[in-house]
Amino acid sequence: MKEEKEKKEISRREFLGKAGTGVAGSYFILSSLKQAEAVAKENPLQPPETYFGNIQVQLTVNGVKHKVRVHTNTTLVELLRDRLSLTGTKVVCNHGECGGCTVVIDKKAVYSCQMLALDADGKDVTTIEGLLKGEELHKVQQAFIDKDGLQCGFCTPGQIMSAYALLLNNPDPSEEEIKTAMAGNICRCSAYPKIKESVAEAARLLKA
Amino acid sequence: MNNPDVNKHVRGESIFIDDISLPAETLHCAVLDSAFAHAGLVSINTNRAEKMNGVIAVLTSKDIPGENQIGGIIQDETLLAVDEVKYIGEPLAIVLADSITNARKAAAYIDVEYKKLPVITDAREACKNGSLIQQPTIFESGDIDKAWGECDFVYEGRVETGGQEHLYLETQCAVAYPKEEDKLLVLSSTQHPTAVQRAISRVLGIPMSNIEVDVLRLGGAFGGKEDQATHWAVLSALGAHITRKPVKLVLPRYQDIRVTGKRHPYSSDYKIGLKKNGKIIAFEVIYYQNAGACADLSPAVLERTLFHVTNSYFIPNVRATGISCKTNLVPNTAFRGFGGPQAMFVVESALHDAAEKSGISYQTIQKSNLIKDGELFHYGQTCENSNALKCWEEAERLYDFIQIKKNVDEFNQKNKLVKKGFSIMPVCFGISFTSSFLNQASALVHIYTDGSIGVSTAAVEMGQGVNTKIKTIVAEKFSVSSDRIKIESTNTTRIANSSATAASSGADLNGNAVLLSCSNILERLKKSAAEELVTEDKSEIEFADEFVFVNGKKTELTWTKLVQKSYMKRINLSSHSFYATPEIYFDRTINKGRPFAYHVYGTALIVVELDCILGRYKLDTVKIVHDFGKSLHPKVDIGQVEGGLLQGIGWMTMEEIIYSQEGRLLSNSLSTYKVPDIYFTPQNIEVNFLEESINKFGPFNSKAIGEPPLMYGIGVYFAIRNAMKAYKKNLVMDYSAPLTPEKVLMNLFM
Ligand code: FES
Ligand code: FES
Repeated sequence: MKEEKEKKEISRREFLGKAGTGVAGSYFILSSLKQAEAVAKENPLQPPETYFGNIQVQLTVNGVKHKVRVHTNTTLVELLRDRLSLTGTKVVCNHGECGGCTVVIDKKAVYSCQMLALDADGKDVTTIEGLLKGEELHKVQQAFIDKDGLQCGFCTPGQIMSAYALLLNNPDPSEEEIKTAMAGNICRCSAYPKIKESVAEAARLLKA
Repeated sequence: MNNPDVNKHVRGESIFIDDISLPAETLHCAVLDSAFAHAGLVSINTNRAEKMNGVIAVLTSKDIPGENQIGGIIQDETLLAVDEVKYIGEPLAIVLADSITNARKAAAYIDVEYKKLPVITDAREACKNGSLIQQPTIFESGDIDKAWGECDFVYEGRVETGGQEHLYLETQCAVAYPKEEDKLLVLSSTQHPTAVQRAISRVLGIPMSNIEVDVLRLGGAFGGKEDQATHWAVLSALGAHITRKPVKLVLPRYQDIRVTGKRHPYSSDYKIGLKKNGKIIAFEVIYYQNAGACADLSPAVLERTLFHVTNSYFIPNVRATGISCKTNLVPNTAFRGFGGPQAMFVVESALHDAAEKSGISYQTIQKSNLIKDGELFHYGQTCENSNALKCWEEAERLYDFIQIKKNVDEFNQKNKLVKKGFSIMPVCFGISFTSSFLNQASALVHIYTDGSIGVSTAAVEMGQGVNTKIKTIVAEKFSVSSDRIKIESTNTTRIANSSATAASSGADLNGNAVLLSCSNILERLKKSAAEELVTEDKSEIEFADEFVFVNGKKTELTWTKLVQKSYMKRINLSSHSFYATPEIYFDRTINKGRPFAYHVYGTALIVVELDCILGRYKLDTVKIVHDFGKSLHPKVDIGQVEGGLLQGIGWMTMEEIIYSQEGRLLSNSLSTYKVPDIYFTPQNIEVNFLEESINKFGPFNSKAIGEPPLMYGIGVYFAIRNAMKAYKKNLVMDYSAPLTPEKVLMNLFM
């Protein structure tokens, strides 16, 4: 019974992973309401090539290679959320001030709202969705559950990615090092005491 | 049991409004808000904006089909401004376009002609000009004019507290979907779905029954989405109603901070009178509340201030006057504590001032005036089950105040440039909405034929763990695994006429309603089980660990089997119940009554360390004894205490809201408005539960938790101030919060 349940969830996850290509949602409203005629002449089902921008970038996200067109001003977080439907990464301030959008690139925690999609060309990006192995939680995720390192959950993906980056580079951080690494992630629910414990616990779990 | 959402949160799989995948035809909404704090609106010309790329419609007040009014308590707030703007950030028009980029771009091309008018940002100035939200309210007890004669010491002073930005990480947002005919489904990030439904009904001129408001979860709220979520939900509904397309509205952070209200700044005058032994005889206070440009929740916030004039203390003679002043700032609103913290800061300042001037120690005055059973609160309620002294004494016992104070003194003798400061902060907070009628809730519980359970209430989950608590209640009551239980979204079609999830009362009101529903179903199931097991007496039937027991003996009958059998016997497996808090009332003509079901108590001990050269401080120790009642969920409750505490500390220390004279918010982003980060966590933090606290008003004897802990943060102000005093003996300083490092330096060296 239990096995069966797991199988089902895995296949659902695979589906989610593969189906995660955003649709040019808003494009179609244009075709239906305003520019109907103009567009219909071309191809009614396909937005024009340049709708998403005319620069192609290639990047790997959570192990999957993507080739996408972007505008010069498309940010990485927009690419992740709006085009790849990876909505685990949150936009909170969009100004590089809160850490809500943290992803990991080259073992470093990066504010994805402050990186242009163009600059992510050729990069290997890990988002919160990429930490799971099948249904198995990553140890950092497990630690946040065990130590109650969250309340509303909105800052949580960013917190976990910052902690993940820290532990990639420093498997045995001191309390001070934990604080330094996590200082760029605001939690307005102020779960900080428990976030601190969660990161320490994650280090412990990863070593075990 | 963990928060049911936790698993999704850590995977990044929880759906917040901005994460919902939308139909292809969805329109995106940008809001144009006022550039001036006070001005006549000469004209709004949308021609250029309408021709912009991707724009479908630009709507102004002229397009509102119903009434252009969203005021809750007082009808003084338009949805879209008509001929005058009263604050920077007041919505003027919305743009609906195919993408959010196009919508925002076009909003900049709406041409607005303003005629500037004089601006008032200060509450006292507004009061002088007669610019008030409503007539002043006075709470009075004893005979204050006579009481001054009995005092050995009388002191007067002035106290200021600043505003506070909620900074919920998820900004205000909503999605509205048009349904058949003129019906609408609105997903809103609100603490108060019914308020949203009511306002949409009024603005669109369609019945409430045609509007379904659904709330899954909030990415933080703290009061900022009690009344202020309504504006954005109604705007998206207006867009959807007119275009008949789904409309999504998400405020970008910089706009959210600019256009939404904050904690009310207060400016207050007090006069306090004491006996030589430290007994407080009389306390008089006038609060000038800076309400901003519209009432919003200000009258209710002010009322809660008036209820918390004396914090945890019994003072026999009180006169408190609350004046809600109308200024040209964004309408200020609910924020965790709801006016209570402002009142408590004033009384603590008065006590601290009296201590310094009279030479009686601050802690002696605090402790010897803690309220006891049988004494009257100044609003006429008799104090029952007081835990004020119990919490204090338990903290004293556990944390050894005397030793800690000695350590601080020794440290200060040894160190010249770094000083420590110590303070104790008792808290007493009344639980219940102070408008008695709001203390009602209902719940809907379904048991499905596979034994799984669906629970609907009016409680909105925003990180405070109310769903976890409700789940705990249901699991305990039915004695089934919590895996069976699903807490549904908060939805106006399932639970009607709800009150906001606010006033710390979410788990109390909704939990009690859920208990009633569970009891109803349980009675029916017991009867059914008695029939199945051929027992005469259903009182012999019990449920435990998913099995039916008779006279304490386990039977073969499982929960699922019993549910299925009962269904076949046509037994009702659903229950809708209603709960109204008993025994509460309040007479506003005399401002007396029993407004609160009960009070929450606690005591915090605080030690800070101040670098007197840099003005920087860090939190050395915060140790708390808190009265949780019998905690429904200790893990959740500890999180609430720690989170509330840190928010309170932020308000008292670093979070500084600054407006220019023109009414422009200067601290308008996270780079200029500092909130606590992980470095701000106290080095030593400890929370202990007060033993043997009972509370018949809370589900399973629990007590409300959301707001009270915020007020422990007030103690940090006094701890820092005491550290400053250790450095500069003749320190003279206003009682004004926040006490930023900058202010510390100015006061030490200027
Ligand atoms: S959203 Fe990127 S740092 Fe705040
Ligand atoms: S859990 Fe709510 S902001 Fe961190």
